[in-house]
Amino acid sequence: MLGMDAIAGADMLGDVAHDLRIAGIARPAPVSFTFEGTALTAPAGESLAAALLAAGIRRLGEGADPARPRTALCMMGVCQQCLVRVDGRLAQACLRPVSAGMVVTAA
Amino acid sequence: MTGTVDIAVLGAGPAGMAAAAEAARRGARVVLFDESAAPGGQVYRAPPPGFAMPADADRREGDALRAALAASGAVLRMGHRVWGVGGGPLVPQGMAAAPFRIDALAPDGSNATLEARALLLATGTHERIIAFPGWTLPGVLGLAAATILLKAQGVLPGRRVVVAGAGPLLFAVAYKLIKAGAAVAAVVDLATAGEWARALPALAARPDLLLRGAGWRAALLARRVPVLAGHRVVSAAGDAVLRAVRVAPLDGGAAREIACDALCIGHGLVPGTEATRAFRAAHRYEAAAGGWVPVLDADRRTSIPLLYAAGDGSGLRGAAAAPASGRLAALAALRDLGALTPAAHGAARVAPAAAFARAARAGAAMAAMMALRPALVATIPPETIICRCEGVTRAEIEAAVADGAADMNQVKQFSRAGMGPCQGRLCGETAAELVAARVGGRERAGFATGRLPLRPVAMDALLGAFDYADIPVPNPAPI
Repeated sequence: MLGMDAIAGADMLGDVAHDLRIAGIARPAPVSFTFEGTALTAPAGESLAAALLAAGIRRLGEGADPARPRTALCMMGVCQQCLVRVDGRLAQACLRPVSAGMVVTAA
Repeated sequence: MTGTVDIAVLGAGPAGMAAAAEAARRGARVVLFDESAAPGGQVYRAPPPGFAMPADADRREGDALRAALAASGAVLRMGHRVWGVGGGPLVPQGMAAAPFRIDALAPDGSNATLEARALLLATGTHERIIAFPGWTLPGVLGLAAATILLKAQGVLPGRRVVVAGAGPLLFAVAYKLIKAGAAVAAVVDLATAGEWARALPALAARPDLLLRGAGWRAALLARRVPVLAGHRVVSAAGDAVLRAVRVAPLDGGAAREIACDALCIGHGLVPGTEATRAFRAAHRYEAAAGGWVPVLDADRRTSIPLLYAAGDGSGLRGAAAAPASGRLAALAALRDLGALTPAAHGAARVAPAAAFARAARAGAAMAAMMALRPALVATIPPETIICRCEGVTRAEIEAAVADGAADMNQVKQFSRAGMGPCQGRLCGETAAELVAARVGGRERAGFATGRLPLRPVAMDALLGAFDYADIPVPNPAPI
């Protein structure tokens, strides 16, 4: 693995990351989960791909070329670029709702 | 549900919802499958439970279709990933026709199997994104992806966004971004103003669409968002993530750089024909309908008995036309199953046939705006990655053709383009156009044969509780 902990940490969008959620939308209460060991929160039921994007995490794992990490592209379950492991099992982040206690790792 | 149902419907977008509701309310036993948690498809995608999004026109249309579906008696199998289709006319010659068999991965990870006398496909589309240097950078995502983020998740793709590609989705996404509080750095439209002007007469019957489009344009004008008509994205740049895109006029001329933290780009929609291809149904290439589409009669029958196709997945005609095509397919299935007399079918199909013809004119004009542009594919530099799953470049695809690969199946075998987990959905259009340019057209380039599983599925989900320890191993013979 090309240091996935580095990938998880290095790609923060910075100050803007935490207001990517559109204001004025009522959402369920936030729940906690982790990505590569980093503690994150997101409204329960939000898609994991959206939750990671909102947390500033866009590099989701190695691609065919290690210099070219995978990133969510289609958001509708087609492209397979957002594959991660949820509690050890492969999952498409765009199709998986966030739930409390999820342990997410790069695939 | 046990036993064989009358009709299985794959896909719960506008076509599939309307088809299932039409057949079920007329007394047929119908099961509707979709990968999503709730019916709606992409255009009418429902937000997750507990999310209160502002209602818009799309939401009201979707809610009406969902309400009719809920009242119809159709059985919903949501959260089911259909990976296998078979049976029906696929049985060896000389054997009695069997019902269709559908295999799906259920939300709990188990495999669900269903038999159906007729199969109705409403599988929708996926986005065509023609590759360009830097398109693999984090921060680059699809136009349709952006609509899902904005409408169903309430999340912005970035704070300063370039919106690029082709078709009405460009302006819809740019408008939604502005309304949601993002800055749109530019709209980069492949089409010229003249192309849009020529498409307008077909929209005359849809003043609602014209008004909505005019509203989008007005909002962009009011925010002084640059709309670059007849332009393409040359490349995306950034070290670890996207920092800027370079754009240039299609007819040549100087490129300019636009700083951004997200690029939403899409070059049209492609019908999802994996199931009709798996059944070896007859297909034809029609660029203005999105590419390869199943050959259909006026009642949505494919070349395979009791197999029907409806909605954009069988040729782009837009969301407004999709429910009518779904109803036509459902009525044809009921007639073919003997549940409707020819006379009753003839009377019942009049209204949906007229509705389809009306809506399809505007839909066809918009589909034509989203048709693939071979000139755009010609501009891709040789070292650009085309197949992201397997890391195959344009040069490698063309080398495969030079080595003798004569169609898409052979290019897949020679170069591995399209062999990864997306099964060619992402690279297929670009790769096919590259091959077509060298073998004499898309008909000659063909398409990759439809193979099961239709979507990736984990082996252990199919194996169930089986374990290697369960394999009986005979005692070794004494030496």
